[in-house]
Amino acid sequence: MRIVNLAAFALALASAFLLYGINYDTRLLETRVQGEERAIDEARSDIAVLKAERAHLGRPERIEPLARAQGLRPASEQQLAASPEEAMTRALAQAGAARSPAAKAN
Amino acid sequence: MSVSITPQRGEPDAPPEVIPRARANGPLRTLIAMIVMALAFMAVGAQLVRLALPSQSDITSSVSETVGGNYARPDIVDRNGRLLASDVEAYSLFADAARVLDRDEIVEKLASVFPDLDRSGVRKDLGDRTRRFVWIRRGLSPRTAQEVHNLGLPGLDFRRELRRAYPGGTLAGHVLGYVNIDNRGVAGIERYVDEQVGVDAVQSAALTERAPVRLSLDLGVQHAVESELEDAMRRFEAKGAAGLVLDANTGEILASASFPEVDPARPTMSLEAARADKIAGSTFELGSVFKTVTLALALEGGYAKLDTVLDVRQPLAAGAFTIRDLHPVGRPLTVSEVFIHSSNIGAAMLATRAGPQKLQTFVQTLGLMTNMQTEEGPIAPPQLPSRWGPVETMTISYGHGLAVSPLQFAVAASALLNGGHKVLPTFLKRAPDAEPAKEVPLVSAATSERMRELMRLNVTDPAGTGRRAAVPGFAIGGKTGTAEIPGPGGYRERAVISSFLAAFPIDKPKYLVFVLLFEPKPTHAASGEVLAALNAAPTTGRIIARIGPILGMMSASATGASGVAFDGTLPAKYEAQ
Repeated sequence: MRIVNLAAFALALASAFLLYGINYDTRLLETRVQGEERAIDEARSDIAVLKAERAHLGRPERIEPLARAQGLRPASEQQLAASPEEAMTRALAQAGAARSPAAKAN
Repeated sequence: MSVSITPQRGEPDAPPEVIPRARANGPLRTLIAMIVMALAFMAVGAQLVRLALPSQSDITSSVSETVGGNYARPDIVDRNGRLLASDVEAYSLFADAARVLDRDEIVEKLASVFPDLDRSGVRKDLGDRTRRFVWIRRGLSPRTAQEVHNLGLPGLDFRRELRRAYPGGTLAGHVLGYVNIDNRGVAGIERYVDEQVGVDAVQSAALTERAPVRLSLDLGVQHAVESELEDAMRRFEAKGAAGLVLDANTGEILASASFPEVDPARPTMSLEAARADKIAGSTFELGSVFKTVTLALALEGGYAKLDTVLDVRQPLAAGAFTIRDLHPVGRPLTVSEVFIHSSNIGAAMLATRAGPQKLQTFVQTLGLMTNMQTEEGPIAPPQLPSRWGPVETMTISYGHGLAVSPLQFAVAASALLNGGHKVLPTFLKRAPDAEPAKEVPLVSAATSERMRELMRLNVTDPAGTGRRAAVPGFAIGGKTGTAEIPGPGGYRERAVISSFLAAFPIDKPKYLVFVLLFEPKPTHAASGEVLAALNAAPTTGRIIARIGPILGMMSASATGASGVAFDGTLPAKYEAQ
């Protein structure tokens, strides 16, 4: 009888301590979770700013002059050929045309 | 629990027992033990209940602040996922009048950071000590916020708020609309976002988790249209310009630009009358482009065939005034020639053949008389003549006497060219797996084909008014329009809206382009004329030459083979997600 009582008492005490410990751990975890959540919010806010900045830097209004300065321009049908053979013929013709005025000049 | 034997001390014959003595206080001890146990179990129970309750966070936000919330809005992206509008965190400065020590010092020091500060206003606000919350300035950049912080003034504090950012600047400004200081949509797509998509009321700068709103606009196409229009305004010294690119089958709007432009980040700009949206927010008498409707009516109703000859040599009397051709050819013209020479007399004759009733019904069928709406807001309602008499029939046949918004007209023209089925304009991207909308036929497929032939002829024929819109690699068809602008007491001389309505590839139109130039001058670039053939048509050609490759519509015309430049349906590399 006594043993049962003592055991129950000890068990109660132990579980109380255990629960207290768990409670304490939970609070600690909660603080950590809050910290993480804050970090996530900050990261998301940073991402939003960076995304907006990237879109701002990549706006066509800015890219167009830069691309044109690189010698780029909109694609034209001159760059298209129906078949590889035709592309080759055209390239050869262009090369020939480029050479002939030079030859004349010489 | 067994009942303990009660010792009976009074019995003399009872042998002295140790055990009963030891158990002398048995009941009491049992009771104590039980109470302790009960207490312990109660404590455990209480802990369990406490832990089981939803955890209360340690941080309790003060809700006593007398400020309305801020709204978190979803991003707006173009059809390829490129960002058009987004929320970013900004700092807003407020003062707690009760904590302010020296009003004058605050005002003077703040004025050093904000030179345009309303000093007397702030001084007055801070004078009322009961006000615990006075906005000083909202939406500050981190740098300015730091400057204010460095002043070290008591009573000032910051709140983190969300502010709408438009990374493209003025790009698609009219379509996007704008938001108010609390980040609520007021106009354009921003208003649609509030009303249909939803925004979240937030207390601090918490971004929303909602999915971005995907528009049908294509950033690249929009930019190409805007930059070509700006260029055209400069070359032809026009007061304004507008351009529209529409999917002729689905009604998706790929670009909608109007100049002078507006900046969504500066809402006051949108209130200026001159900056009103010319695509959807205003109506115009569009002039000769309206002949596409007249010709379609004549062909659909069987009032004429393409080779029917009309005698257009004599000016036509229409009530008090006379209808003339701008450049009379001096011989009878076939219906095709009426279209490519843009003969007003010919168009008026065709409309008269059909009669006012039929014209009105046809215009009604095409949806040019009903009020239309897009996600951007209601389209400006058409301005209709008070009565449809013979005179109105003649003037409407060449686009005068009936004013309609360019968007509504482009939508009607799409139906004439896409095989004859109805199109509803939208600013939202269609889901790729969405079922095609049920086709509502407005005109017959045969009439639509004739219209495409006429439009193509107008560009390929050496006499066509649209020949300057031709671009190698694209099969373009189009119609010019040079409409005089009504002023006080009649139409104004040489003040015109010149426009060009084009579709490409014309044999199976995918895209419709509509370009308008407002009051262009007879500059050298336009050979000293204000005709659409010399300003709007070449501008449209340049636009198509730029947007065609983006849309994957270019074909190798050198051999007549139509090899597609690249697969436009593949997601672009620059896609955001």
